[in-house]
Amino acid sequence: MTTMTGAKEWVRMERLSKVYPNGTVAVKEVDLTIHEGEFLCFVGPSGCGKSTIFKMITGLSNPSSGTLQVMGASASVARKRSDTAFVFQDHTLLPWNSVIDNVTLPLALRGVPRKERQREAERVLEMVGLKDHMRSMPRELSGGMKMRASIARALVARPKLLLMDEPFGALDEITRQTLQIELLELWRQDPEMTVLFVTHNVFEAVFLSTRIAVMTPRPGKVSDLIDVPVPFPRDESFRTTPEFGQIVRSVSQALKH
Amino acid sequence: MREETMTTPELSFGTSAGTSTTKLRTSSLKKVWKRIGPPSIAFILFIGAWELFCRLSGLKPYLLPKPSDIVLAASENASNLWVSVYTTITEAVLGFLLSIVLGVGFAILLASSKLIERSIYPYAIIMQTIPIVAIAPIIVIWFGAGMNAIIIIAFLIGFFPMLSNTLIGLNSTDHNMKNLFYLYNASPLQTMIRLRIPAALPYIVAGLKISCTLAVIGAIVGEYIAGIGGGNGGLGYAITVASSRLQTAYLFACGLSASLLGIAFFLLVNAFSKWMLSSWHESEMKSSEG
Ligand SMILES: Nc1ncnc2c1ncn2[C@@H]1O[C@H](COP(=O)(O)OP(=O)(O)O)[C@@H](O)[C@H]1O
Ligand SMILES: [Mg+2]
Repeated sequence: MTTMTGAKEWVRMERLSKVYPNGTVAVKEVDLTIHEGEFLCFVGPSGCGKSTIFKMITGLSNPSSGTLQVMGASASVARKRSDTAFVFQDHTLLPWNSVIDNVTLPLALRGVPRKERQREAERVLEMVGLKDHMRSMPRELSGGMKMRASIARALVARPKLLLMDEPFGALDEITRQTLQIELLELWRQDPEMTVLFVTHNVFEAVFLSTRIAVMTPRPGKVSDLIDVPVPFPRDESFRTTPEFGQIVRSVSQALKH
Repeated sequence: MREETMTTPELSFGTSAGTSTTKLRTSSLKKVWKRIGPPSIAFILFIGAWELFCRLSGLKPYLLPKPSDIVLAASENASNLWVSVYTTITEAVLGFLLSIVLGVGFAILLASSKLIERSIYPYAIIMQTIPIVAIAPIIVIWFGAGMNAIIIIAFLIGFFPMLSNTLIGLNSTDHNMKNLFYLYNASPLQTMIRLRIPAALPYIVAGLKISCTLAVIGAIVGEYIAGIGGGNGGLGYAITVASSRLQTAYLFACGLSASLLGIAFFLLVNAFSKWMLSSWHESEMKSSEG
């Protein structure tokens, strides 16, 4: 599924830098090409520019220098095509809307007819196991369920690029591990979908990724790219293999530089 | 306030579970008594002491009427008093409704363009500080003495709190949610309707609570200045007449009616706010604590 050679380029960064107006060099000369179907994790301590890279990919923030191509176009053009979806650390569900109305939001904003919205919402809610809760209000859900609803909302428009910025950061360890497995399943169901995932948890990065971009702060740089050549499906037993431990060690080592 | 939020779930539980209803009902009755018992007793003691003081001191009734005098004055003039109360209610309600519609409407207009907001908002703030009594005579000159001028005064006094509250609410949308709408290519109109207005609801409700009390004050002040004579005057007008004739007991009755009217109006708006925010839950909890 992750044939590196010949696969389409989804995101390309060349000497990409971001300097905020106050002089903070958040990202410095990052070179990175991400291909279709990858699951790439950015790992690094907080403040190393992970969110800034995401903001540039989504067009929320403009690069200061270097080039950035998202699916063959500039970030803002790519966003207009609606092939990109987002999950933040905060679930950002609208508290006054039911789960299903939250999930259909990206489609509703695009003017997709109600019937089709309903059908797509049921499809993704089924996928994340929330079909029985589609009429609930967000406040009635647990933290893990809210995050599932948030993921369902991201998947409802069948994105080609899914950006997740520390999505499981606020969850307890058990829920986090369950959601990791579920997320991998969702990703495997759509061979076209590329996931970019930000975390500061090395174990999470190794468990999920096909490749890990290790970032170091001040200035924010990608210091290492580490492949995780472990086939899918991965399940709980992967966490206890020697291979897992070894990759965790090399990522941790790279973080210390 | 805290006790109140604790009784609600129990009451609703009582209706769904049939067998334990009576038990719960007596316990909630106890709670209600705990809340209203002490203030009721204090009220009765206060009225009794007042009555006793007036009777023993032999104070002139036009200086301080006995509670019984006030009740008597109210019941003797019951039909006049009712007309006055009714007139004031009408003016206050109409003024209040106008201040909601125009306050919220203008706030949405201002919030939809930073340029418009920046150029007009400072004036809206300054207007708020102008004492209404000072401009009331101008309104009377423009609209003539009577109902219209009074409604406009009641409207003006409630308009600015509505406007500024709504505006603050519309601009306080969560940063992440705004990003979310931006990333999903929402138009400004979609963002306004689906995000900013619902997010502003708790602020709008806070504005309602301020404006409804002000509208009653505005109506009475308006009646002082632009009151219509004859049988159709509101409470403000009745108060000026009673005070000029030294009918102190009736003056007290009018003042009391005005206070009760204000309180009733506030409680009504408060109940409506709670109902409107019931889907909002968290913010409703916050505002009911404050
Ligand atoms: N809007 C901003 N203006 C100025 N500095 C910023 C801004 N956003 C982030 N930064 C700074 O840029 C650096 C990288 O931030 P960020 O990308 O959020 O890091 P991460 O997501 O890895 O924690 C930090 O030092 C942060 O303080
Ligand atoms: Mg971050």
